[in-house]
Amino acid sequence: MAAARLGNEPVRGRAARRSFVDFASPARNRLRSIWALRVAIIAAVLAIWEVVAESGWLFRDVVPTVPVIARAVARLLADRSFYSNLAVTGAEIVAALAIGGIAGLVAGLVLGGNRFLARAYEGFIYYLGPTPKIIFFPIMILWFGVGPGSKIAMGALSAFFPIVISVASGMRQIAPVLLHVGKSFRATPWQMTRTIYLPAMRTPIVNGFRLGLGLAIIGALLAETKLSNRGLGYLIIQSYTTFDMPRMYALLIVLFVIAIGLNALIGRYAVSDRARSS
Amino acid sequence: MATATATRAHRYAPLAAPALGFATLVGAFALVEVLIRVGAINRFVVPLPSQVLAAIPRIIVEEGILHRFWQTTQEALWASVLLVFAGIGLGMLMFRFRLLRSACETWVAAFASAPVVLMYPLFLVIFGRSATTIVMIGFVAGLPPVILKTIEGLAGTRTVLLDVGRSFRLDDWQLFRKILLPAAMPSIFVGLRVGLIFALINIVGVEFLINFGGLGQLINELAERYDLPGTYGAIGFVILVSVLFFVVCERVERWLLPG
Amino acid sequence: MQRPRARIRSPVGVPVTQAVPGSRASGAPILAVTDIVKRFGDGAEALLAVDGVSFDVGEGEFVSIIGPSGCGKSTLFNIIGGLVADYDGRIEVDGESVSGTHAAFGMVFQDESAFPWRSVIDNVAFPLELAGVGKRERHERARRFVSMVGLDGFERRYPAELSGGMRQRVAIARTLASQPRILLMDEPFAALDEQTRLLLGDKVLQIHQHLRQTTLLITHNITEAVQLSDRVIVMTYRPGRLKRTFDIDLPRPRTSEVVGSDAFGHYVAQIWNDLREEASRGMGDDESRQLGNERRR
Repeated sequence: MAAARLGNEPVRGRAARRSFVDFASPARNRLRSIWALRVAIIAAVLAIWEVVAESGWLFRDVVPTVPVIARAVARLLADRSFYSNLAVTGAEIVAALAIGGIAGLVAGLVLGGNRFLARAYEGFIYYLGPTPKIIFFPIMILWFGVGPGSKIAMGALSAFFPIVISVASGMRQIAPVLLHVGKSFRATPWQMTRTIYLPAMRTPIVNGFRLGLGLAIIGALLAETKLSNRGLGYLIIQSYTTFDMPRMYALLIVLFVIAIGLNALIGRYAVSDRARSS
Repeated sequence: MATATATRAHRYAPLAAPALGFATLVGAFALVEVLIRVGAINRFVVPLPSQVLAAIPRIIVEEGILHRFWQTTQEALWASVLLVFAGIGLGMLMFRFRLLRSACETWVAAFASAPVVLMYPLFLVIFGRSATTIVMIGFVAGLPPVILKTIEGLAGTRTVLLDVGRSFRLDDWQLFRKILLPAAMPSIFVGLRVGLIFALINIVGVEFLINFGGLGQLINELAERYDLPGTYGAIGFVILVSVLFFVVCERVERWLLPG
Repeated sequence: MQRPRARIRSPVGVPVTQAVPGSRASGAPILAVTDIVKRFGDGAEALLAVDGVSFDVGEGEFVSIIGPSGCGKSTLFNIIGGLVADYDGRIEVDGESVSGTHAAFGMVFQDESAFPWRSVIDNVAFPLELAGVGKRERHERARRFVSMVGLDGFERRYPAELSGGMRQRVAIARTLASQPRILLMDEPFAALDEQTRLLLGDKVLQIHQHLRQTTLLITHNITEAVQLSDRVIVMTYRPGRLKRTFDIDLPRPRTSEVVGSDAFGHYVAQIWNDLREEASRGMGDDESRQLGNERRR
């Protein structure tokens, strides 16, 4: 019975949500088959990659073999200059998130709290949000120079929008009765903010910062690829111009691992919060 | 004695708020103009707003805006086609095979948070400095939301609707066509909209970065020519186009999915 | 409890046709509400929600205000509690005029209002925290009220882990912890099932007995009103005015014997008599509005 549940589910099973409760196979078996599938997929991808690389069907250097990439990753992680560049990028992103985050938080609190101002200005933010911020880069260079300043500005500008939007909407979604409670106890505005507004908005704020972090990373790194002589983005573009493909793959892999890892961490924090909050 | 302290907000004309927004914009322009003329702001860092505004018509006429528009639109269209087929297709596949979904959905979600666009140098190498690179980046960037929303829409179909279908003895394919898919449509649309926006943002961005293509490249060119009013103007113009596009998207969606 | 001498304070302009024990309590009232009028909107479209309501509440009294849906009783609740500023009329506590929120009032709302991010004990200690009481002391004091509502052992739990009835108990305990002179409750049991409601009603009775807490309860449930109160005030359908006041002359404690007695049933019947007329006016209104909407489509 359990074996029949491995692999592709029969058509019958797909439609009904109720077959989520799968009495035939215990949860542990299912977990095992999930991991089995994951490993199988990864193995298959690596195998196909290796075949393509070896065959030279694509220009050989464009698709290096797996061992070559693995060695490049090892080399990268052992390289001192990688870490110094990583630090530069890291510092830029932290600064960008701080600036964009505080600006976004304040703006979000103002717009969330005041209906009139929200109707006046929130349209700008909502419609400016889904625009490519990298096109502002030439202006950022003019204003903040060729160094980290313009990269921080790029990151801050990118992070600002998701944070404002989620803070403002988070404020509006607070159950009104909770505010009534605060008022009925005659809490001062500062007490209201500290004990009611901020805790009630914890999840939207964390999610906003999560998005903001993702966008700050992209903003700062893209700026580095365009014009910089330090940082992770610079290393990536440098590996492009020197056609050091293994190094490029290594850099991208490390970058993705870091970005996804950070996001997962924040997500874990948000969930542990939510378990208590909801 | 309690006095009548009327809430005045509702007495203001309904247009007061947007008027304030607009007035602030105009006011900011005017302020910057004055500060530059007075010398408080360096005019080689920020050009006169009046010059920027004047540059826009010039750009439209001289820089082949229509042609650039068309180029960017083409790239977006190709990316959309790919998104519809690959995105919805993969979503349906992952819904159909529950094990696949359990194994891979978190991967897709993780991908959504990854800086996909930073692979553009890689794509440059593989596809060359061409429109294909741009389309592929747009496609890859827009893929995760389409897949996730498709799965969400299909999985979120209320059980009772499926029960109705089964009580009419529909077979699996009919259940899918007549119940699951229609029920999932709103979600799929949202996913496509988000995916398209992601794709477009990355398309214009990469056009700028690799100096190829339509609107994004325009900005790059003007920047490299040190045409300051032109650069500012082009950025403003592209922002305007992007905003308009977003507005149109919203209207279309509202029209297609009433309520 | 002494039956108050009848002194009828009639709503403005409407004669009271029966000499019923009136709205005035014995001795100086702790709460005096006079000529409250509340309009929403202005001009031709104004909605008159409350039209000249006046009544008193004496110290230690339990008064219920009952009325059909839409009669303005929640509006009245918000006005007395100070959450609504724009009204005509006067509210006096201990003879002094008050406006806006006042420390004398404690409010329990209809919607679920326990803070989801705080544990039970932290919820109940909230008013003490606002007042600046130190952590250990306020937890100790809060524990007493947690116990009073029967949530012993649940201090460290979070609202998400509790049932709806328990969450309302947390809200009640929290309000009690601020030790208000007057407890205002707006249909606190409306969202609960019948059995929970009955049990919580008993709890409220116990608390009232124990604390001699002056209470003003807004409700639409007649049985609840008669079971808990010393006086029941019936409101008319919108615009809300006082229709009649009933002295509930039943012995305390209100055991199940008392609740099952004939006298109890009489009170319920009398109140329903008054209420039925108002409730059907409300229903008629709803129906004609519904038909109007459909015709418009």
